[in-house]
Amino acid sequence: MQAILALFPARDYTLLSLIVLLPLLGAAVNGVFGKRLGKEAVSLLALSVIFISFVLSVLTFFALGHAQQGETAARFYWKGWEWFHLTQQNGNSTTLNVAFSVDALSGTMALIVTGVGFLIHLYSVSYMAEDPGFHRFLTYLNLFIFSMLVLILGDSLPVLFVGWEGVGLCSYLLIGFWFETESNAAAGKKAFVTNRIGDFGLLVAMGLLLYYTGALDWSGIEGGAKNLLTPVQVWPLGTHVPAASLLPAGAEHWVNMPRYVSAATLVGLALFLGCAGKSAQLPLYVWLPDAMAGPTPVSALIHAATMVTAGVYLLCRLSFVMVLSPAAMAVVAFTGALTALFAASIAFAQHDIKKVLAYSTVSQLGYMFLGVGVGAFTAGFFHVITHAFFKACMFLGAGSVIHAMHARIHDTDASQDMRNMGGLRKYMPITFWTFAASWAAIVGFPLSSGFFSKDEILFKAYSSFVNSPVPGNTLTDGGISMELFTWPTWLGSALYAMGLLTAVMTAFYMTRLFIGIFFGEFKGWKIVKGFKEAQGHDEADHGHGHAHHDPGVRLEGPTPHESPWQMVLPLAILGALAAFSGFFNANAGPIHITPLDSWLEPVFAKASGAVSLVAESESKEPLFLGLAFAAFAVGSGVAYWVYAIQKGKPAQSLVNAAPGFHSLVFDKWRVDEFYDEYVIGAVDSLAEFFTWADKWIVDFILTRVSSFLIAASGTALRFMQTGRVQTYAAVMVLGLGGVGYFFVTPRVEAETKSNDASGAYSLSAAQGLGYSYRWDLNNDGKWDTEKFSSQTRASLKLAVKENRTVRLEVKNAFGRTATRSFDFARPQPDLSGALSRGSPDQVPLRRMPNLRQLVKQGAAK
Amino acid sequence: MNPVASGLFQIAPYILAFVVGVLVPRRQGAPERVAIGIVAALALLLVRSLWPSETAAVADPNAHEWKYLLSVIVFLPILGAIFVLFLPRQSPVILKRVTFLILGLDGLVSLDLLSSPMTRGWHFQHIVEWVPAFGIRYHVAVDGVSMWLILLSTLTTPIAAYVSFGSLKTRIKDLCFAFLLLHGAMMGAFISLDLFLFFVFWELLLIPMIVMIGVWGGVEKVKAAYKFFIYTMVGSMLMLAAILFMVWNYSKLAGYPSFDYLALQRVVLPRTAAWLCFGGFFLAFAIKVPMFPFHTWLPDAHVQAPTGGSIILAAVLLKLGAYGYIRFCMGLLGGVAWTAAATLAGVAIGGGIVYGALVAWKQDDVKRLVAYSSVAHMGFVMLGLFAGTQAAMEGAVLQMLNHGVSTGALFLLVGVIYDRRHTRLVREFGGIAKVMPIYAALFVIVTMSSIGVPGTNGFVGEFMIVMGTFVSQTLGGQARLQAGLASAGVILAAVYMLSVVQRVFFGPLSNPKNKHLRDLNVRETIAVAPLIALIFVIGLFPNLFLSRMGDGVSAVLERYQDSRKSYQEQGDSDTARLSERRGGALELGYPEAPQKKTDTQPAQAQALNAEAP
Repeated sequence: MQAILALFPARDYTLLSLIVLLPLLGAAVNGVFGKRLGKEAVSLLALSVIFISFVLSVLTFFALGHAQQGETAARFYWKGWEWFHLTQQNGNSTTLNVAFSVDALSGTMALIVTGVGFLIHLYSVSYMAEDPGFHRFLTYLNLFIFSMLVLILGDSLPVLFVGWEGVGLCSYLLIGFWFETESNAAAGKKAFVTNRIGDFGLLVAMGLLLYYTGALDWSGIEGGAKNLLTPVQVWPLGTHVPAASLLPAGAEHWVNMPRYVSAATLVGLALFLGCAGKSAQLPLYVWLPDAMAGPTPVSALIHAATMVTAGVYLLCRLSFVMVLSPAAMAVVAFTGALTALFAASIAFAQHDIKKVLAYSTVSQLGYMFLGVGVGAFTAGFFHVITHAFFKACMFLGAGSVIHAMHARIHDTDASQDMRNMGGLRKYMPITFWTFAASWAAIVGFPLSSGFFSKDEILFKAYSSFVNSPVPGNTLTDGGISMELFTWPTWLGSALYAMGLLTAVMTAFYMTRLFIGIFFGEFKGWKIVKGFKEAQGHDEADHGHGHAHHDPGVRLEGPTPHESPWQMVLPLAILGALAAFSGFFNANAGPIHITPLDSWLEPVFAKASGAVSLVAESESKEPLFLGLAFAAFAVGSGVAYWVYAIQKGKPAQSLVNAAPGFHSLVFDKWRVDEFYDEYVIGAVDSLAEFFTWADKWIVDFILTRVSSFLIAASGTALRFMQTGRVQTYAAVMVLGLGGVGYFFVTPRVEAETKSNDASGAYSLSAAQGLGYSYRWDLNNDGKWDTEKFSSQTRASLKLAVKENRTVRLEVKNAFGRTATRSFDFARPQPDLSGALSRGSPDQVPLRRMPNLRQLVKQGAAK
Repeated sequence: MNPVASGLFQIAPYILAFVVGVLVPRRQGAPERVAIGIVAALALLLVRSLWPSETAAVADPNAHEWKYLLSVIVFLPILGAIFVLFLPRQSPVILKRVTFLILGLDGLVSLDLLSSPMTRGWHFQHIVEWVPAFGIRYHVAVDGVSMWLILLSTLTTPIAAYVSFGSLKTRIKDLCFAFLLLHGAMMGAFISLDLFLFFVFWELLLIPMIVMIGVWGGVEKVKAAYKFFIYTMVGSMLMLAAILFMVWNYSKLAGYPSFDYLALQRVVLPRTAAWLCFGGFFLAFAIKVPMFPFHTWLPDAHVQAPTGGSIILAAVLLKLGAYGYIRFCMGLLGGVAWTAAATLAGVAIGGGIVYGALVAWKQDDVKRLVAYSSVAHMGFVMLGLFAGTQAAMEGAVLQMLNHGVSTGALFLLVGVIYDRRHTRLVREFGGIAKVMPIYAALFVIVTMSSIGVPGTNGFVGEFMIVMGTFVSQTLGGQARLQAGLASAGVILAAVYMLSVVQRVFFGPLSNPKNKHLRDLNVRETIAVAPLIALIFVIGLFPNLFLSRMGDGVSAVLERYQDSRKSYQEQGDSDTARLSERRGGALELGYPEAPQKKTDTQPAQAQALNAEAP
């Protein structure tokens, strides 16, 4: 380790660039040359870059461990180049570097991503071997690992955002990997767009962070985080609510009343919106179940183990920002708990094994957010780790099962339907045992990894709460003061109750899945020893797929087979990890082995200071342990009774008793339909209306109406062009008459010059044909000289605050006259203005109307 | 190290890039491999010449600027257009080669602009008296803003011409003439610092463009050409009135007329007059950009225009509007522009980013869709300009380049399927990723750039604009709300672009006419390659572009602030006045008052050298 640290100093840890860029290299080469390289070369390259990346991550991990001593968090940093900088109006410049850094949190996460990623790459090489898009698949997977590493190791929010959208893009490409099917492509688009809604939140969060903290990199945000404790007016948006004056006085006051929240809450909620999109939380979870359209390794890697936990990672990363807002934390915790409960309820009624796993993923992600939301960042992150192992293992196991089912059933939906499975324990022993290990973890079987991580979250949900970030719980800023949100005392119990109920439900539906796949009789087809498949099955995919629905005809097929070693090895490793990784942070009853806790402690030091435990909760811990065990026992026991002993009869009778309710749950509470109808429908009809308006209002007015006006005036003018010389002559005479009148009438015009300081004013009359002038400068009603003269200029001097009206009469060559008067006023010198001249903002010109010369123009007499 | 070795060492990266480029194409012949290799080597050359190096720092950066450079860049194509007239109509090959040679040469010459670090002030300035009696001069110069737009046009016009030469078969001579004239006029408008000269170029470029739409266009080409012409003309006439009014004021106040930009910058008009002048300029630019509600000419023009015309229209012509806003609205009438900014930003967001995106979503014709997406993208650009922070302005100028690159590439790619199927209707396609995989991959890359996925160019521009808007003081208390609304545009961009990608490329290959579509051919691949390269270069190394842009933008913003101050000081006064001379690099080349006849020569020399900070 010393050698590594000597070679790569903490401030210039070049190894990071290698960890990040190797997968990109693999993606680039495979993407461009993949088709010509051949399968072996493509898989060798794709696997080796990830493996080297993994080895380097392990080295970095241990080097971090070596460097991290005691309380201070170690952080290795590598700067690539300056990306761009944001210069503000006050000249402050925020530089954004393409820079990466690694600390205990991101180092652990990188291990999972590259480690689990490598196993899944290995699995994919076999799973996708027959696919014509093999090289494309591995290119996308490599690109995904690259993006995920950028997300984790990025040293600032924008760099994280590169990875954040990069994984979204890879997810889009991989969900729609088999793009010939319309629904797969649609699912990809849905995932991308839903994620974009979240990205919008992240963009807003970045803007607010830039505005309040002036930085976007981790250390800069941490430095400026205290500025987030500022009240921000969120209502009304302008100075007042439009049309509020129509309301009665009391209501108007209420509507117009300014409302404030702290900037930290805004940032926290915007960040959480981003995380909810990426990590499939309510209300943006809808894309994840559809994302199962992608190949199964993708579901394991992206939609279970790594990408979907990015939201949890981000909240952990910015824990010091989140804890500044108890309100945002409460929203996170509550949304997490609600999502966990909601998704678990949907999983009850699904038959597609990947769908069940997808909803359980959403549910488990809810747990993680519950943990993070109550301030138990380590517990939440620990669940990320254990979940990555057991859920990846389950998905890969499901893939292995589906792979086996494909021997005879080629329809995608039918091959994933658990009603076609059963009894596979006998035929696929390794898959069974690894699946069993991960089943034990997710249902919370004592001493399994999930047992420890879930128990920790549940206990913390009850016992910990977020303190107010300011003493006295009141924010004041420039005369505004606002109360901050405080955690109600009942919230902990409510969150705990929701979490515990979810645990019971999880145990139930996972046991149902487990029994449905591996126990009982095999229901896919009639097993015939030495069965040879008929040729040309490809053309008749659907025929085979649907045959099982026909009760009369039973398919015949070979014995379901275990998968090849490339698929089984990752399963075994992940299964082992699922069983035993709980001891990274085992903290239950007498067991107290918590290396992860102390490892992450420096990272969360700032955040954990803001979190407290409810009094006397430590002593109640055994009770919670018992309840957690009870949740497992009740959930899985009931499921065992229903599905293994009674062969599913009670469930069937329940369905028959309430068919409407069952179909509601089976249709996922029809949330998708609700969104389609109301959200997408609203945007859609708005777009339709705009498209209509663009054609028939905007374009109509600008082109049709304007051309009509021009054509109409042309038509009107055409009537005057009669072609009759008499008409033209008459018009000409009229015109000449007008010109003549213009020349005969005299006009009085004068240019005035003024100097308020000295009181000297002057007039200079405009000249004209044969004009002569007479003046009345002293305002006595009489002309100064009765005779007209050629004097065109006149000047006068005024005392301070004196007003004077000057008259001028003009006579032209035809003897006609015209008169006009000019008003002058000399103002009082404005001393206040003179004093504060240094700052022009202080001198609103409107306050000094007499600074400018007052020339009131009298009408010509 | 011996010189041969060090020479080899220096060219090694280019050779490597060339070799990689040669290896990239699949199943295609030697010419394409070599051409892609050259494109790769050139892209590397571009990045290397942009890269800041220690040797570049010299004492007087302006010393070695060749003052005729801009004139060469502009008049090479214009003279080339005249030269083309003397070539035989019967030999299209010669015509095409000559045109392409001139455009290519022009592109190479324009790379010399990069030799200047583009510090504060005007560069490559060249002044010649033209009509002294009216104060009209041939005054050309570039700053950090206009330089990039020139490079953008010298990059995209050859590409557009190259694409057009492949798909258009009729009236090649006229096409060559139109391309060369259009190219020269566009760049002339970007470099003119004399408003008369600017107006001449501004109107000149209209003619080849309507010819291009009206001759080689689609079914309703004449109607679209008319619409384009009349819309632009309405704006131009009001702008001309505004220019003349300002010149008249200047000549009254200073005692001698001048159309010069630097001179007119000093005119401080009474409020009403200033608002009217601003309206005249703004309308012309808003139509060109186009901004809601003056955008309806754009979809028609794009749909009818041939591919080459669409590329130029989207990549360069629309930028003239935004450039005009920076140069003339913010530069000459900054006080009004500042006051109007918050309202106009609302229009840019509501009418551009949101409305444009929603309407784009509902289009059947891919070109129409891209046209409306241009409205949305240009909404972002204009928002950046209205926000008026350094970050937002830099983002806006960068976004202009991005939009040129990615929308140019989109039109090019749409032209590819149009050439094969003679339709652009989305419902005619579906699943063609299966038969055209390379085309689909490139289209998806360009789509990602268009919707601003980080790592591509689109992200940097949009991000800088949104962040700049968040911290903007120009927009007042609404800044954060407006920035938040603008960021919602990223959702809509994904919606409409991904819908079209899904409907065209994915799903079952149902239409039998699409079963045997050929993938990209040699010409199309070479044409799109530099744009794809730029997408990533700008996305990953935006600083190469921003570093030469920053000083130009900060000078504009400084002028903007000054202008606002004099607008406030002006108050309700109804007399026009001239603001103080500011001196310094920004007023280099100010049109001094004409001296008596006897000493004209020294006076001019003095005018050029008078500015000492």
